[in-house]
Amino acid sequence: MVRWAKDRGLQVRMIGTMFLIALVYFIFIAVLAYIGIDSLLLLLIVTGMILLQYFFSDRMVLLSMGARVVTEQEEPRLYETLTRLCSIAGIPRPKLAIVNSAIPNAFATGRNAKNSVVAVTTGLRSTLNQEELEAVLAHELSHVKNRDVMVMTLASLISTAAFFIFRNSLSASRVTSGRGGKQNLWFIIPVFAAAVWVISYLLIKALSRYREFSADRGSAVLTGRPSQLASALMKISGMMDRVPKDDLRKVEGMNAFFIIPALSGSSIMALFATHPSVEQRIAALDRIEKELAGRGD
Amino acid sequence: MGIREALGALLGTTALPKANLDKLFAISSASVTMQSEFNLVPAPRAGICFKPIESSQYDEARTEIEELLQFSSRETGSSFRIVTDEYRFTWVILEDPDFDDLVGGIHLVSQTLIEKGFGDYLLCAIFRFEKGKPVYWVYHFKLGRFYPFIPLDGKTRDSAMEFRVRSLLEKDLPIEKEIAKWYPLWGIPL
Repeated sequence: MVRWAKDRGLQVRMIGTMFLIALVYFIFIAVLAYIGIDSLLLLLIVTGMILLQYFFSDRMVLLSMGARVVTEQEEPRLYETLTRLCSIAGIPRPKLAIVNSAIPNAFATGRNAKNSVVAVTTGLRSTLNQEELEAVLAHELSHVKNRDVMVMTLASLISTAAFFIFRNSLSASRVTSGRGGKQNLWFIIPVFAAAVWVISYLLIKALSRYREFSADRGSAVLTGRPSQLASALMKISGMMDRVPKDDLRKVEGMNAFFIIPALSGSSIMALFATHPSVEQRIAALDRIEKELAGRGD
Repeated sequence: MGIREALGALLGTTALPKANLDKLFAISSASVTMQSEFNLVPAPRAGICFKPIESSQYDEARTEIEELLQFSSRETGSSFRIVTDEYRFTWVILEDPDFDDLVGGIHLVSQTLIEKGFGDYLLCAIFRFEKGKPVYWVYHFKLGRFYPFIPLDGKTRDSAMEFRVRSLLEKDLPIEKEIAKWYPLWGIPL
Protein backbone atom coordinates (compact mmCIF):
# COMPACT_ATOMS: atom_id res chain seq x y z
CA MET A 1 0.00 0.00 0.00
CA VAL A 2 1.31 3.36 -1.00
CA ARG A 3 1.51 6.15 1.52
CA TRP A 4 0.49 9.39 -0.14
CA ALA A 5 3.37 11.80 -0.47
CA LYS A 6 2.14 14.91 1.29
CA ASP A 7 1.95 18.44 0.08
CA ARG A 8 1.93 20.51 3.25
CA GLY A 9 0.80 23.77 1.65
CA LEU A 10 -2.13 22.04 0.01
CA GLN A 11 -3.13 20.32 3.23
CA VAL A 12 -2.96 23.53 5.21
CA ARG A 13 -5.21 25.27 2.68
CA MET A 14 -7.60 22.32 2.64
CA ILE A 15 -7.89 22.14 6.41
CA GLY A 16 -8.25 25.93 6.55
CA THR A 17 -11.10 25.79 4.05
CA MET A 18 -12.85 23.00 5.91
CA PHE A 19 -12.49 24.95 9.13
CA LEU A 20 -14.04 28.03 7.51
CA ILE A 21 -16.94 25.94 6.20
CA ALA A 22 -17.54 24.53 9.68
CA LEU A 23 -17.32 28.03 11.15
CA VAL A 24 -19.84 29.45 8.69
CA TYR A 25 -22.20 26.57 9.46
CA PHE A 26 -21.79 26.98 13.18
CA ILE A 27 -22.60 30.69 12.98
CA PHE A 28 -25.57 29.89 10.79
CA ILE A 29 -27.09 27.40 13.19
CA ALA A 30 -26.31 29.62 16.20
CA VAL A 31 -28.08 32.59 14.63
CA LEU A 32 -31.08 30.46 13.64
CA ALA A 33 -31.32 29.22 17.20
CA TYR A 34 -31.05 32.76 18.50
CA ILE A 35 -33.86 33.99 16.29
CA GLY A 36 -35.92 31.05 17.39
CA ILE A 37 -36.25 28.95 14.30
CA ASP A 38 -36.56 25.30 14.97
CA SER A 39 -33.61 24.43 12.81
CA LEU A 40 -33.43 20.93 14.20
CA LEU A 41 -36.38 19.72 12.15
CA LEU A 42 -35.07 21.41 9.05
CA LEU A 43 -31.64 19.93 9.54
CA LEU A 44 -33.20 16.51 9.99
CA ILE A 45 -35.05 16.86 6.71
CA VAL A 46 -31.98 18.05 4.87
CA THR A 47 -29.83 15.36 6.45
CA GLY A 48 -32.37 12.77 5.34
CA MET A 49 -32.23 14.08 1.80
CA ILE A 50 -28.46 14.15 1.82
CA LEU A 51 -28.31 10.63 3.22
CA LEU A 52 -30.60 9.45 0.44
CA GLN A 53 -28.33 11.17 -2.00
CA TYR A 54 -25.32 9.73 -0.24
CA PHE A 55 -26.55 6.17 -0.52
CA PHE A 56 -28.08 6.37 -3.96
CA SER A 57 -25.91 8.97 -5.62
CA ASP A 58 -23.80 6.40 -7.40
CA ARG A 59 -26.82 4.96 -9.15
CA MET A 60 -28.30 8.41 -9.72
CA VAL A 61 -25.11 9.73 -11.23
CA LEU A 62 -24.63 6.70 -13.42
CA LEU A 63 -28.22 6.91 -14.59
CA SER A 64 -28.07 10.62 -15.34
CA MET A 65 -24.79 10.26 -17.23
CA GLY A 66 -26.03 7.26 -19.16
CA ALA A 67 -23.16 5.15 -17.88
CA ARG A 68 -23.29 1.41 -18.34
CA VAL A 69 -21.42 -0.81 -15.91
CA VAL A 70 -19.34 -3.28 -17.89
CA THR A 71 -17.97 -6.69 -16.92
CA GLU A 72 -14.40 -7.84 -16.85
CA GLN A 73 -14.99 -9.92 -19.99
CA GLU A 74 -16.18 -6.89 -21.93
CA GLU A 75 -13.25 -4.64 -20.95
CA PRO A 76 -10.34 -6.88 -19.98
CA ARG A 77 -7.68 -4.25 -20.64
CA LEU A 78 -9.25 -1.44 -18.59
CA TYR A 79 -10.04 -3.83 -15.73
CA GLU A 80 -6.49 -5.11 -15.75
CA THR A 81 -5.15 -1.55 -15.43
CA LEU A 82 -7.70 -0.78 -12.73
CA THR A 83 -6.80 -3.90 -10.74
CA ARG A 84 -3.11 -3.07 -10.81
CA LEU A 85 -3.68 0.54 -9.69
CA CYS A 86 -6.03 -0.58 -6.90
CA SER A 87 -3.54 -3.04 -5.51
CA ILE A 88 -0.91 -0.29 -5.43
CA ALA A 89 -3.37 2.08 -3.77
CA GLY A 90 -4.55 -0.59 -1.33
CA ILE A 91 -8.26 -0.21 -2.03
CA PRO A 92 -10.86 -2.74 -3.23
CA ARG A 93 -11.41 -2.58 -6.95
CA PRO A 94 -14.39 -0.45 -7.96
CA LYS A 95 -16.65 -1.33 -10.86
CA LEU A 96 -16.04 0.17 -14.24
CA ALA A 97 -18.63 1.93 -16.38
CA ILE A 98 -18.54 3.24 -19.91
CA VAL A 99 -20.41 6.35 -21.06
CA ASN A 100 -21.21 6.53 -24.72
CA SER A 101 -20.08 10.09 -25.40
CA ALA A 102 -17.55 11.61 -27.74
CA ILE A 103 -16.51 14.17 -25.13
CA PRO A 104 -13.42 12.90 -23.31
CA ASN A 105 -14.24 12.74 -19.62
CA ALA A 106 -14.09 10.50 -16.56
CA PHE A 107 -15.64 10.51 -13.11
CA ALA A 108 -15.82 8.46 -9.95
CA THR A 109 -18.87 8.00 -7.77
CA GLY A 110 -19.93 6.04 -4.71
CA ARG A 111 -19.75 6.59 -0.97
CA ASN A 112 -16.90 4.19 -0.29
CA ALA A 113 -14.38 2.16 -2.20
CA LYS A 114 -16.54 -0.96 -2.20
CA ASN A 115 -19.54 0.76 -3.74
CA SER A 116 -17.60 2.94 -6.12
CA VAL A 117 -17.85 3.08 -9.84
CA VAL A 118 -15.23 4.63 -12.06
CA ALA A 119 -16.64 5.74 -15.39
CA VAL A 120 -14.89 6.77 -18.58
CA THR A 121 -16.40 8.03 -21.82
CA THR A 122 -15.76 6.39 -25.15
CA GLY A 123 -14.31 9.74 -26.22
CA LEU A 124 -11.70 9.52 -23.50
CA ARG A 125 -10.63 6.11 -24.66
CA SER A 126 -10.20 7.19 -28.26
CA THR A 127 -8.42 10.45 -27.35
CA LEU A 128 -5.84 9.14 -24.91
CA ASN A 129 -3.14 6.52 -25.21
CA GLN A 130 -2.74 3.69 -22.70
CA GLU A 131 -0.41 5.57 -20.32
CA GLU A 132 -2.59 8.67 -20.26
CA LEU A 133 -5.69 6.56 -19.69
CA GLU A 134 -3.97 4.88 -16.78
CA ALA A 135 -3.11 8.30 -15.30
CA VAL A 136 -6.75 9.40 -15.55
CA LEU A 137 -7.97 6.16 -13.94
CA ALA A 138 -5.43 6.71 -11.15
CA HIS A 139 -6.79 10.23 -10.65
CA GLU A 140 -10.33 8.87 -10.27
CA LEU A 141 -9.14 6.11 -7.93
CA SER A 142 -7.48 8.78 -5.79
CA HIS A 143 -10.88 10.46 -5.47
CA VAL A 144 -12.22 7.09 -4.28
CA LYS A 145 -9.37 6.58 -1.86
CA ASN A 146 -9.66 10.12 -0.49
CA ARG A 147 -13.42 9.55 -0.07
CA ASP A 148 -14.19 12.74 -1.90
CA VAL A 149 -17.87 11.94 -2.43
CA MET A 150 -18.36 11.72 1.33
CA VAL A 151 -16.27 14.81 2.09
CA MET A 152 -18.03 16.94 -0.48
CA THR A 153 -21.49 15.67 0.56
CA LEU A 154 -20.81 16.56 4.18
CA ALA A 155 -19.36 19.91 3.22
CA SER A 156 -22.43 20.86 1.23
CA LEU A 157 -24.94 19.64 3.83
CA ILE A 158 -25.73 22.92 5.55
CA SER A 159 -25.12 24.93 2.43
CA THR A 160 -28.08 23.08 0.97
CA ALA A 161 -30.07 23.75 4.15
CA ALA A 162 -29.30 27.46 3.92
CA PHE A 163 -30.48 27.47 0.35
CA PHE A 164 -33.79 25.86 1.33
CA ILE A 165 -34.28 28.32 4.17
CA PHE A 166 -33.60 31.17 1.80
CA ARG A 167 -36.19 29.92 -0.67
CA ASN A 168 -38.84 29.12 1.92
CA SER A 169 -38.37 32.33 3.84
CA LEU A 170 -39.04 34.28 0.67
CA SER A 171 -42.32 32.55 -0.09
CA ALA A 172 -43.67 31.92 3.41
CA SER A 173 -41.95 34.31 5.71
CA ARG A 174 -44.54 34.32 8.48
CA VAL A 175 -46.24 30.98 8.27
CA THR A 176 -43.84 29.22 10.54
CA SER A 177 -43.42 32.11 12.94
CA GLY A 178 -45.26 32.88 16.11
CA ARG A 179 -43.63 30.71 18.68
CA GLY A 180 -42.22 33.44 20.82
CA GLY A 181 -39.04 33.98 18.89
CA LYS A 182 -37.52 37.31 18.17
CA GLN A 183 -40.10 38.37 15.62
CA ASN A 184 -38.38 41.60 14.72
CA LEU A 185 -35.42 39.67 13.36
CA TRP A 186 -37.40 37.63 10.87
CA PHE A 187 -36.77 39.97 8.00
CA ILE A 188 -33.05 39.30 8.05
CA ILE A 189 -33.44 35.56 7.60
CA PRO A 190 -33.57 35.52 3.78
CA VAL A 191 -30.57 37.83 3.56
CA PHE A 192 -28.66 35.89 6.17
CA ALA A 193 -29.46 32.50 4.66
CA ALA A 194 -28.49 33.76 1.22
CA ALA A 195 -25.20 35.10 2.57
CA VAL A 196 -24.43 31.78 4.24
CA TRP A 197 -25.29 29.95 1.07
CA VAL A 198 -23.07 32.16 -1.12
CA ILE A 199 -20.09 32.07 1.24
CA SER A 200 -20.28 28.33 1.80
CA TYR A 201 -20.77 27.82 -1.94
CA LEU A 202 -17.48 29.60 -2.67
CA LEU A 203 -15.71 27.72 0.11
CA ILE A 204 -17.02 24.38 -1.15
CA LYS A 205 -15.76 25.19 -4.64
CA ALA A 206 -12.34 26.01 -3.20
CA LEU A 207 -12.36 22.74 -1.27
CA SER A 208 -13.29 20.91 -4.45
CA ARG A 209 -10.33 22.44 -6.28
CA TYR A 210 -7.99 21.37 -3.48
CA ARG A 211 -9.39 17.83 -3.69
CA GLU A 212 -8.62 17.87 -7.41
CA PHE A 213 -5.02 18.85 -6.76
CA SER A 214 -4.90 16.05 -4.21
CA ALA A 215 -6.24 13.52 -6.68
CA ASP A 216 -3.72 14.71 -9.28
CA ARG A 217 -0.99 14.15 -6.74
CA GLY A 218 -2.44 10.73 -5.96
CA SER A 219 -2.38 9.83 -9.64
CA ALA A 220 1.23 10.96 -9.91
CA VAL A 221 2.21 8.79 -6.96
CA LEU A 222 0.26 5.75 -8.17
CA THR A 223 1.64 5.78 -11.71
CA GLY A 224 4.97 7.40 -10.91
CA ARG A 225 4.53 9.43 -14.09
CA PRO A 226 2.97 12.85 -13.49
CA SER A 227 3.74 13.86 -17.07
CA GLN A 228 1.21 11.33 -18.39
CA LEU A 229 -1.61 12.96 -16.45
CA ALA A 230 -0.39 16.37 -17.61
CA SER A 231 -0.50 15.30 -21.21
CA ALA A 232 -3.95 13.69 -20.71
CA LEU A 233 -5.25 16.95 -19.20
CA MET A 234 -3.94 18.90 -22.16
CA LYS A 235 -5.68 16.58 -24.58
CA ILE A 236 -8.96 16.51 -22.64
CA SER A 237 -9.10 20.28 -22.26
CA GLY A 238 -8.54 20.86 -25.96
CA MET A 239 -5.50 22.98 -25.10
CA MET A 240 -3.54 21.20 -27.82
CA ASP A 241 -6.00 22.41 -30.45
CA ARG A 242 -5.47 26.06 -29.53
CA VAL A 243 -1.82 25.95 -30.55
CA PRO A 244 -1.63 27.43 -34.05
CA LYS A 245 -0.25 25.49 -37.01
CA ASP A 246 0.14 28.35 -39.48
CA ASP A 247 3.61 29.73 -39.90
CA LEU A 248 4.38 33.06 -38.23
CA ARG A 249 5.74 34.41 -41.50
CA LYS A 250 2.49 33.53 -43.23
CA VAL A 251 0.23 35.23 -40.69
CA GLU A 252 2.50 38.27 -40.39
CA GLY A 253 0.43 40.00 -43.09
CA MET A 254 -2.50 40.11 -40.70
CA ASN A 255 -0.50 41.37 -37.77
CA ALA A 256 -2.81 44.31 -37.15
CA PHE A 257 -4.86 41.81 -35.17
CA PHE A 258 -2.10 41.62 -32.61
CA ILE A 259 -3.21 44.99 -31.31
CA ILE A 260 -6.46 43.67 -29.95
CA PRO A 261 -5.68 42.48 -26.48
CA ALA A 262 -7.03 39.04 -25.80
CA LEU A 263 -9.54 38.83 -23.01
CA SER A 264 -7.49 37.02 -20.45
CA GLY A 265 -8.19 37.22 -16.74
CA SER A 266 -10.66 34.58 -15.65
CA SER A 267 -10.00 35.39 -12.02
CA ILE A 268 -13.67 35.80 -11.10
CA MET A 269 -14.72 32.69 -12.94
CA ALA A 270 -11.94 30.81 -11.18
CA LEU A 271 -13.75 31.39 -7.87
CA PHE A 272 -16.74 29.42 -9.08
CA ALA A 273 -14.85 26.60 -10.76
CA THR A 274 -14.93 23.14 -9.25
CA HIS A 275 -11.65 22.28 -10.95
CA PRO A 276 -8.44 24.30 -11.01
CA SER A 277 -7.32 25.51 -14.41
CA VAL A 278 -5.43 23.03 -16.55
CA GLU A 279 -2.41 25.33 -16.49
CA GLN A 280 -2.34 25.28 -12.68
CA ARG A 281 -2.74 21.53 -12.58
CA ILE A 282 0.07 20.98 -15.07
CA ALA A 283 2.34 23.31 -13.13
CA ALA A 284 1.57 21.36 -9.94
CA LEU A 285 2.25 18.06 -11.71
CA ASP A 286 5.59 19.38 -12.93
CA ARG A 287 6.54 20.23 -9.36
CA ILE A 288 5.60 16.69 -8.29
CA GLU A 289 7.70 15.28 -11.10
CA LYS A 290 10.71 17.19 -9.82
CA GLU A 291 10.00 15.93 -6.29
CA LEU A 292 9.80 12.33 -7.51
CA ALA A 293 13.01 12.71 -9.48
CA GLY A 294 14.77 14.16 -6.45
CA ARG A 295 13.71 11.30 -4.19
CA GLY A 296 14.50 8.56 -6.67
CA ASP A 297 18.24 9.16 -6.57
CA MET B 1 -5.72 48.48 -24.34
CA GLY B 2 -4.34 51.94 -23.68
CA ILE B 3 -6.16 55.15 -24.48
CA ARG B 4 -4.04 55.82 -27.55
CA GLU B 5 -4.74 52.44 -29.06
CA ALA B 6 -8.44 52.76 -28.25
CA LEU B 7 -8.55 56.17 -29.92
CA GLY B 8 -6.60 54.82 -32.87
CA ALA B 9 -9.00 51.95 -33.24
CA LEU B 10 -11.99 54.33 -33.07
CA LEU B 11 -10.58 56.67 -35.69
CA GLY B 12 -9.26 53.88 -37.84
CA THR B 13 -5.73 55.21 -37.63
CA THR B 14 -4.39 52.27 -35.73
CA ALA B 15 -0.64 51.99 -36.05
CA LEU B 16 1.23 48.72 -35.89
CA PRO B 17 2.75 48.02 -32.51
CA LYS B 18 6.37 49.04 -32.31
CA ALA B 19 9.15 46.53 -32.01
CA ASN B 20 9.99 46.13 -28.35
CA LEU B 21 13.40 45.00 -27.11
CA ASP B 22 12.78 45.51 -23.39
CA LYS B 23 12.42 41.89 -22.39
CA LEU B 24 14.97 40.36 -24.75
CA PHE B 25 17.70 40.09 -22.12
CA ALA B 26 15.46 37.94 -19.91
CA ILE B 27 16.59 34.93 -21.97
CA SER B 28 20.10 35.38 -20.54
CA SER B 29 19.12 34.70 -16.95
CA ALA B 30 16.49 32.14 -18.01
CA SER B 31 19.19 30.13 -19.79
CA VAL B 32 20.89 29.59 -16.44
CA THR B 33 17.70 28.11 -14.98
CA MET B 34 17.14 26.04 -18.11
CA GLN B 35 20.60 24.52 -17.88
CA SER B 36 20.79 23.90 -14.15
CA GLU B 37 17.22 22.71 -13.55
CA PHE B 38 16.09 21.10 -16.78
CA ASN B 39 19.27 20.21 -18.72
CA LEU B 40 18.21 22.46 -21.56
CA VAL B 41 21.54 23.41 -23.11
CA PRO B 42 21.80 26.59 -25.20
CA ALA B 43 23.14 26.08 -28.72
CA PRO B 44 25.86 28.54 -29.75
CA ARG B 45 23.55 30.02 -32.39
CA ALA B 46 20.72 32.52 -32.45
CA GLY B 47 18.94 34.36 -35.23
CA ILE B 48 16.86 37.36 -36.10
CA CYS B 49 14.17 37.01 -38.71
CA PHE B 50 12.82 40.01 -40.56
CA LYS B 51 10.40 40.65 -43.39
CA PRO B 52 11.61 41.13 -46.96
CA ILE B 53 12.59 44.74 -47.47
CA GLU B 54 11.71 46.29 -50.83
CA SER B 55 14.53 46.02 -53.33
CA SER B 56 15.47 49.71 -53.44
CA GLN B 57 16.00 49.82 -49.70
CA TYR B 58 17.26 46.32 -49.37
CA ASP B 59 20.78 46.66 -50.75
CA GLU B 60 21.46 49.64 -48.58
CA ALA B 61 20.07 47.93 -45.50
CA ARG B 62 21.96 44.75 -46.15
CA THR B 63 25.24 46.59 -46.57
CA GLU B 64 24.64 48.44 -43.35
CA ILE B 65 23.82 45.27 -41.44
CA GLU B 66 26.87 43.52 -42.80
CA GLU B 67 29.15 46.40 -41.91
CA LEU B 68 27.71 46.50 -38.45
CA LEU B 69 28.06 42.76 -37.97
CA GLN B 70 31.62 42.77 -39.25
CA PHE B 71 32.42 45.49 -36.78
CA SER B 72 30.72 43.86 -33.81
CA SER B 73 32.01 40.37 -34.57
CA ARG B 74 35.53 41.75 -34.38
CA GLU B 75 34.62 43.01 -30.90
CA THR B 76 33.01 39.88 -29.50
CA GLY B 77 34.63 37.16 -31.56
CA SER B 78 31.32 35.87 -32.86
CA SER B 79 30.61 35.02 -36.48
CA PHE B 80 27.52 35.67 -38.56
CA ARG B 81 25.78 34.77 -41.78
CA ILE B 82 22.78 36.15 -43.62
CA VAL B 83 20.33 33.77 -45.30
CA THR B 84 17.02 34.10 -47.10
CA ASP B 85 14.39 31.44 -46.39
CA GLU B 86 11.60 29.95 -48.47
CA TYR B 87 9.19 32.70 -47.37
CA ARG B 88 11.74 35.26 -48.68
CA PHE B 89 12.31 36.42 -45.10
CA THR B 90 15.86 37.40 -44.17
CA TRP B 91 17.72 35.81 -41.28
CA VAL B 92 20.79 37.14 -39.54
CA ILE B 93 22.33 34.21 -37.76
CA LEU B 94 24.97 34.76 -35.12
CA GLU B 95 27.32 32.18 -33.72
CA ASP B 96 29.11 32.56 -30.45
CA PRO B 97 30.04 29.98 -27.81
CA ASP B 98 29.20 32.48 -25.06
CA PHE B 99 25.43 32.72 -24.63
CA ASP B 100 25.45 36.19 -23.07
CA ASP B 101 27.49 37.52 -26.01
CA LEU B 102 24.99 35.89 -28.33
CA VAL B 103 22.08 37.66 -26.64
CA GLY B 104 24.06 40.91 -26.68
CA GLY B 105 24.70 40.50 -30.38
CA ILE B 106 21.04 39.85 -31.14
CA HIS B 107 20.11 42.92 -29.14
CA LEU B 108 22.68 45.04 -30.94
CA VAL B 109 21.54 44.01 -34.42
CA SER B 110 17.86 44.54 -33.64
CA GLN B 111 18.61 47.86 -31.98
CA THR B 112 20.49 49.03 -35.07
CA LEU B 113 17.72 47.89 -37.41
CA ILE B 114 15.21 49.87 -35.34
CA GLU B 115 17.46 52.93 -35.33
CA LYS B 116 17.84 52.77 -39.10
CA GLY B 117 14.07 52.75 -39.43
CA PHE B 118 13.58 49.05 -40.11
CA GLY B 119 11.84 48.33 -36.80
CA ASP B 120 8.59 47.45 -38.56
CA TYR B 121 10.33 44.72 -40.50
CA LEU B 122 11.56 42.90 -37.43
CA LEU B 123 9.61 39.70 -36.85
CA CYS B 124 11.30 37.64 -34.18
CA ALA B 125 14.55 36.57 -32.60
CA ILE B 126 15.10 32.88 -32.02
CA PHE B 127 17.27 31.14 -29.47
CA ARG B 128 17.99 27.49 -29.79
CA PHE B 129 18.31 25.06 -26.89
CA GLU B 130 18.72 21.32 -26.96
CA LYS B 131 17.21 18.51 -24.96
CA GLY B 132 17.49 15.55 -27.28
CA LYS B 133 15.69 17.66 -29.85
CA PRO B 134 15.83 21.38 -30.55
CA VAL B 135 13.77 23.57 -28.23
CA TYR B 136 13.37 27.07 -29.60
CA TRP B 137 12.45 30.20 -27.70
CA VAL B 138 10.87 32.71 -30.05
CA TYR B 139 11.02 36.36 -29.03
CA HIS B 140 8.25 38.12 -30.89
CA PHE B 141 9.36 41.74 -31.24
CA LYS B 142 5.88 43.24 -31.42
CA LEU B 143 4.46 41.26 -28.55
CA GLY B 144 7.66 41.86 -26.59
CA ARG B 145 7.33 38.36 -25.16
CA PHE B 146 8.70 34.88 -25.67
CA TYR B 147 7.05 31.61 -26.53
CA PRO B 148 8.42 28.08 -26.89
CA PHE B 149 8.45 26.17 -30.16
CA ILE B 150 9.44 22.52 -30.38
CA PRO B 151 9.12 21.21 -33.94
CA LEU B 152 8.76 17.52 -34.75
CA ASP B 153 8.92 15.86 -38.14
CA GLY B 154 6.56 16.93 -40.89
CA LYS B 155 5.29 20.30 -39.66
CA THR B 156 4.03 18.99 -36.35
CA ARG B 157 5.03 20.26 -32.95
CA ASP B 158 5.41 18.80 -29.47
CA SER B 159 2.79 20.96 -27.76
CA ALA B 160 2.83 18.85 -24.61
CA MET B 161 6.49 19.64 -24.07
CA GLU B 162 5.96 23.28 -25.05
CA PHE B 163 3.39 23.63 -22.26
CA ARG B 164 5.75 21.98 -19.86
CA VAL B 165 8.72 24.23 -20.60
CA ARG B 166 6.28 27.13 -20.34
CA SER B 167 5.23 26.16 -16.84
CA LEU B 168 8.85 25.53 -15.85
CA LEU B 169 10.05 28.96 -16.97
CA GLU B 170 7.07 31.14 -16.20
CA LYS B 171 8.96 32.91 -13.44
CA ASP B 172 12.10 33.63 -15.44
CA LEU B 173 10.75 34.62 -18.83
CA PRO B 174 7.96 36.93 -19.96
CA ILE B 175 5.96 34.32 -21.88
CA GLU B 176 3.05 35.08 -24.19
CA LYS B 177 -0.09 33.98 -22.34
CA GLU B 178 -2.28 33.60 -25.39
CA ILE B 179 -1.45 30.16 -26.77
CA ALA B 180 -3.21 31.05 -30.02
CA LYS B 181 -0.32 33.42 -30.77
CA TRP B 182 2.37 30.78 -30.49
CA TYR B 183 2.84 30.65 -34.26
CA PRO B 184 5.34 28.07 -35.45
CA LEU B 185 8.25 28.78 -37.81
CA TRP B 186 8.87 25.71 -39.89
CA GLY B 187 12.39 25.08 -41.11
CA ILE B 188 14.27 27.49 -38.85
CA PRO B 189 17.76 27.86 -40.39
CA LEU B 190 19.67 27.47 -37.11
